[in-house]
Amino acid sequence: MENRIDNSTPSFDRIKLNVGGKLFETTLSTVQSSGPDSLLSALSTRSTHSSDPIFIDRDPDIFSVLLSLLRTNRLPSSSLKFSKQELLDEAAYYGVESNLKSALLPPSLNGLDASLVSTLHPSVEGFPTDFTAETDDGSVLIAHGGQISCYDSNLIHVGSVRTHLENVTSVRRVWSNIATVGSNSSAGVHFYDLGSGRNVGSVHWTDPSDPRIYRARVHAIAHEPSSVFASCECQHRENCILHIDKSTLQISSEIGRQSGNSAKTVVIGKLTYLSEMHMLIGSSTSAGAFGYSGYMRIWDPRSRNVVWETSEPGSGRSSRFGDSFADADVDTDQCALLKVCSKSGDVAMADLRNLGDDPWVYYQDNNLGQRNPGGSKVIHCYKKQVFVGKEGGLEVWSRVEERENGGGCDGLVYRRNFVDKAENTEKGIIRKMEGGGNRLFVSREDVEGLEVWESSYSSNVVHVL
Amino acid sequence: MPLLGSNEKHSDSNVITIDVGGQNFQTTKQTLSLAGPKSVLSNLSVSQFGGGVPFIDRDPELFSILLSLLRTGNLPSKAKAFDVQDLIFEAQFYGIESLLVDSISNPSQFDAFNLEKSLFLPLNGRDSPSTITTTPYGSVHVAHGSKITSFDWSLRRKSTILTQFTAIDSLLALSPSLAAAGATDFSGLQILDLEKGFVRETLNWENITKSSSTVQAIGSSPEYLFTSFESGRRNSNSIMVYDLQGSFRPVLEIDHNEIYGAELDTAIPATKLKWVSSFNFLMASGSHGGPSGVVGSIKFWDVRSGNAVCELKEKTDCFSDVTVSDNLSAIFKVGVNSGEVFYADLRKLGGVNQWACLGDERKVGIAKKEGAGCKIESHGNQVFCSKKGDLELWSEVLMGSKSSEDGFEERIFRKNLMGRAKDAGGCKITDLSFGGNKMFVTRKDQQFVEVWQSSTRGF
Repeated sequence: MENRIDNSTPSFDRIKLNVGGKLFETTLSTVQSSGPDSLLSALSTRSTHSSDPIFIDRDPDIFSVLLSLLRTNRLPSSSLKFSKQELLDEAAYYGVESNLKSALLPPSLNGLDASLVSTLHPSVEGFPTDFTAETDDGSVLIAHGGQISCYDSNLIHVGSVRTHLENVTSVRRVWSNIATVGSNSSAGVHFYDLGSGRNVGSVHWTDPSDPRIYRARVHAIAHEPSSVFASCECQHRENCILHIDKSTLQISSEIGRQSGNSAKTVVIGKLTYLSEMHMLIGSSTSAGAFGYSGYMRIWDPRSRNVVWETSEPGSGRSSRFGDSFADADVDTDQCALLKVCSKSGDVAMADLRNLGDDPWVYYQDNNLGQRNPGGSKVIHCYKKQVFVGKEGGLEVWSRVEERENGGGCDGLVYRRNFVDKAENTEKGIIRKMEGGGNRLFVSREDVEGLEVWESSYSSNVVHVL
Repeated sequence: MPLLGSNEKHSDSNVITIDVGGQNFQTTKQTLSLAGPKSVLSNLSVSQFGGGVPFIDRDPELFSILLSLLRTGNLPSKAKAFDVQDLIFEAQFYGIESLLVDSISNPSQFDAFNLEKSLFLPLNGRDSPSTITTTPYGSVHVAHGSKITSFDWSLRRKSTILTQFTAIDSLLALSPSLAAAGATDFSGLQILDLEKGFVRETLNWENITKSSSTVQAIGSSPEYLFTSFESGRRNSNSIMVYDLQGSFRPVLEIDHNEIYGAELDTAIPATKLKWVSSFNFLMASGSHGGPSGVVGSIKFWDVRSGNAVCELKEKTDCFSDVTVSDNLSAIFKVGVNSGEVFYADLRKLGGVNQWACLGDERKVGIAKKEGAGCKIESHGNQVFCSKKGDLELWSEVLMGSKSSEDGFEERIFRKNLMGRAKDAGGCKITDLSFGGNKMFVTRKDQQFVEVWQSSTRGF
């Protein structure tokens, strides 16, 4: 019981707060975990010789939630009493927004264990025509009719922009506040400032030597840090990919101009830029009376040369003649190309670093209990998982973890599982899927709203008593 | 991180004052020492704080609940205002989670007569559960399709892993994060790390022809892991005994059968393995449907010597499922034809007709297959038997001493139908398991696990 402790140390280590009449006591390290710029850190560094608590004229109940968050890095269940917006506003006041945002984000998306958590409903013309979540912070841009609605990483509606287009069918966020939009029914590639809602520029495909090239419409958009690529088609079906310089908003080159008069020259409908390999990857499919046909093509945008291409049916030594792909996607994490076959529904992967005549490796499916319905199919890769939409059903291919020390990648095993429940299928045909911020966004044909699928550690028990 | 301060001094050294998040709490050293030597709290009580008040930067309201728990061993009723998940995280911080487990999910609180269908644990995806397994304190692992979803003891947190199996037929929890899994269409037994999703170990059994073998059943005792293997060509089978304490080293092979010609009935692979701790026996049972009806055998093995102690041949009204109860010293079966429950006293096995029918004995000879698909499991002093969608609870009624001529009285068992009237029926029950104070039930075509719970204090 000897006096070892200097009586003045506690006032340096500890901080007393009186928030709205309720006393809180915590340590400086807890308060400072919100970063040096926060109100709390600022208060704590104030030299207070008095032991009087610092008075803050705010609600004490919300503060206790935020203080728990700072102490434990998780939100206590009492946070459920408050709306997300309320918490975010209060967190912004104290300057602990980043702590709150990271606590609100969903855990890593596991397609095996994901459920539909919410649906984003833009209030006017709520049928999403396109959307993008590619920034991967969880924010999403939804094009619906002529509007673009912007949702932040907590899926809170930030704002909507009305464009001059009647029907936006392609949208990409090319800068943090600039969206590139296009429509397959009206001409031009347009740039909109999401903050002010102003059109900051438009690009049209023209060719002085060819009078047919005018009023080109946009079918797909991709971008990289310095440029935007837009797949355009004129009314005479002449099409190409415009390479637009981001800083000047001028066309710097045309890539892969073609006449569009056969299945192999139809406009590119899906475009991806793979920055790791400087590749521009485009695919196009058309469904006719005799089934699907399509092609995939890879360009080097610097030289504008075709690096590799395949067309189905017909190209290569594919043993799957007649089972051409219905949709393709690029796995940017693993530099692979994936396709889903139109008839069998099988999924195949091609390594982009080792493309050849027939690079496809088909995923083996041992689960015979799962049928393959015909009809439309879409494919999307996210977090090393392959999501496949077949009509209204949502499946995921995931890799089975091997032994602890990763022993040998010769026997890569992939398994197919349903993500959804049978009743989800009834909602409508899946039109587009995209992952971002550990969420999977799904839009369906003629269905209002954008579905949000997340994984959760919570068991979501249902009480029946 | 507890920080020290000093505001006041106590003359009574037994009383300790702690400042948690700005609120002072007073308790005794004895109470804090109940938290265990590794806890933050017992360290507070050990060190002398120079007269200062130890400060802990945590939520004071949650601490008051946990302090009540330390004082009484029970959660106070005001704990209901909190989410159990918050309490768990807080208890983990103070290092007293085991006390919380004891108060909420203690196996001693299991009360078979007081079980109510209280929770559903939803499973994502479209696969219905194929098998479930539980730990003593109520963590549950559910196999559905090629996945295993694990719920923690509070049933509030879950995680899902993908396995190499197409479907898992046998699953046994070895710890909250480790399970043994096998399938009748997949070679080898896998020891899975359920947290990381890795295969920790693969255990195989090979017969003379070195063909691969599938897993028919898994069982365990405190020391051993038992696995019933059948060769891929289904012409031989065996029960392997692995050391559970070491690195799953094979210890013994028992009940090795090679089938030559048509002697199928002598070499039925075991499809259920149950450890009988009071007798130190392993019960292995298997049945086989043939042209002359279902035949089966129940064998008791002495694991130390590797010899069969006793064998029951099932020819008339073979079991559709069988279980053994340590507490009741009896084995119980559901007859596949009659659908009635039978018992046989473990202390007088080896007689001519061991089975005593607990129902209508006249149904035994009629091949109506009423018992097909029935499950029977024992837990505590009770036996649970599923009949299609319903659950029967069998318990022994102990009468005053009334010896019969052979020294053993005729035992009396009575049944109850479990659940409320609204719970009756429902889809066919596919698996039953027990853990903590709960019973877990899975049903055909239902993508969730039913939890039957007796009401507990606090929650």
